[in-house]
Amino acid sequence: MSAPLLSVEGLRVGFRAADGGMVEAVRGVDFAIAPGEAVGIVGESGSGKSLSMLAVMRLLGPPARATGGRVLFDGEDLLAADEARMRALRGRDIAMVFQDPQSSLNPALTIGRQITDVVRAHRQVSRSEARRIAAEALERVGIPAAATRLGAYPHEFSGGMRQRALIAMAVACRPRLLIADEPTTALDVTVQAQIVDLIAELRRDLGIAVIFISHNLQLVSEIVDRVVVMYGGKVVEDGPVADIELRARHPYTRLLRSCVPSLSGPVGPLVAIEGAPPRLGRMPPGCPFSPRCPQAVETCAAEMPALLREGRRSLACWRPQ
Amino acid sequence: MTGPILALRNLTKSFPQGGAFDRLLGRGSRFVALDDVSLDIQRGDVVGIVGESGSGKSTLASLAVGLAKPTSGEVLLDGEPLSRLMRNHAGPWRRRIQMVFQDSSSALNPRKTIGRCLTETLALRGVERGAREAEAIALLELVGLGPEMAPRLPHELSGGQRQRVGLARALAMKPDILIADEPVSSLDVSLQAQVINLLSRLTRELGLTLLFISHDLALVRTLCTRIIVMRKGQIVEQGPCLDVLEHPSHPYTRLLISAVPKGIAGRRTPASPDMPAREPARSANAG
Repeated sequence: MSAPLLSVEGLRVGFRAADGGMVEAVRGVDFAIAPGEAVGIVGESGSGKSLSMLAVMRLLGPPARATGGRVLFDGEDLLAADEARMRALRGRDIAMVFQDPQSSLNPALTIGRQITDVVRAHRQVSRSEARRIAAEALERVGIPAAATRLGAYPHEFSGGMRQRALIAMAVACRPRLLIADEPTTALDVTVQAQIVDLIAELRRDLGIAVIFISHNLQLVSEIVDRVVVMYGGKVVEDGPVADIELRARHPYTRLLRSCVPSLSGPVGPLVAIEGAPPRLGRMPPGCPFSPRCPQAVETCAAEMPALLREGRRSLACWRPQ
Repeated sequence: MTGPILALRNLTKSFPQGGAFDRLLGRGSRFVALDDVSLDIQRGDVVGIVGESGSGKSTLASLAVGLAKPTSGEVLLDGEPLSRLMRNHAGPWRRRIQMVFQDSSSALNPRKTIGRCLTETLALRGVERGAREAEAIALLELVGLGPEMAPRLPHELSGGQRQRVGLARALAMKPDILIADEPVSSLDVSLQAQVINLLSRLTRELGLTLLFISHDLALVRTLCTRIIVMRKGQIVEQGPCLDVLEHPSHPYTRLLISAVPKGIAGRRTPASPDMPAREPARSANAG
């Protein structure tokens, strides 16, 4: 593997609790992504996947903050970078697309203005050149008659088109890394499929590395090379997509895959993961999944297994399958 | 009674569209949310209604429970027109058809405890004061929640737990028909499975007639015996669930099926050298 584009090492994110103490939500996360690689980060709400990415982008605000670890982007530790440096990187080298396209756009400005603002913040180009770049970006994300749509306001776009516009904004400056945080959750299934296909296409055509966050393993598996599975603020398994989907070793990964029904095979009760993810500040001392894990033994509840690398896969489990 | 428990007859609902100014000048047009839909639901049917936003499936639900009035057409509950039944606003008909909503946080009063939410509903059904608390606990148990939930407020519960409370509140009325409008679409996959299994079990055990509104075909396949595919206010295809999903005849049904995430089997680029890639492309129309 070539030198990683992004390497997250021992990342910790905590919240300042009312009593003055810190509650940890991300508890030592390690993973890396190579230039041009597509990685899916999957896990339930509260697993720490979105918080980790906000920490990478340095977008955490009080009471949350990164409390430890390193985020190396092209060798530079982003957690140590100053705000001016981050502003230069965000949108130019690393871009992020969020879940709700409605609230990510300014309702009072045209789509064109919002994209050209990003372009002009990072590149010394004229207004007309910025508009040309914006139109090209809209065209690329599949918005027909892009040049005429620059004058449209967000409310004139459907949910799917708004998400396309945000993706256009994200890729307008040709970033090296695109982070998509549940980009399709608010969208219809058919639009979801189109957005997933679009992200795959942009990655292929522009060579952008992609981090795709979702709670649906089957969805990310359609386009990523590798999957990182998170639970309780930790990485529990990481490996090539085919291994994770067909030969997962962590009981959580297996359950996460089998609780989503498919359109083929016998019809019967769904496999459910009983219970709920651990609450903040109430993490068990051992493996965070142990209270819900059908395979758990005494050790699991008592001691956290280390994330061990084996070839191209990593696993943190006392009772691998 | 052998007729349908719920029947829709040429049901149409339209809304004025365009700005207030246009409407004032009589220039406004109307958006047709539901377009001449007729449908018979038999007692004990478990029906999935699928389609995208704007297909009219939620409009259909709100007309069926009497939350909105149709522009034309009629809803029949056991053969009786809902428009007539509704003259008695709090009549016994209202108990018989209940709804579970998509957004569990806005469907519950944030300032009332779970217990109070249920006992008030039980009072509406005429359960005596002394018996309400015990029955509320029994309802919580029915949906897989413990009695410790009763004194809590909605924000202290997880999304999955709140959705169970929404279900318990609907069941408190001992309904014959339950309409669930996207009840799991805001939940994580693991919690979706829990709620779907619960709905499936309760429908069977209580002999409920269920209208399950969803855009997730795989969930509908798991839960429902019959499927209705809606698009732009009309029913484009319907039939036994497995038949329709295995042999869809309408192109829109096929499009919905192709959009279901299929994991590495759905890839266009190989996941690894030994994995074949999927060929046909999905519709690329914007928006």
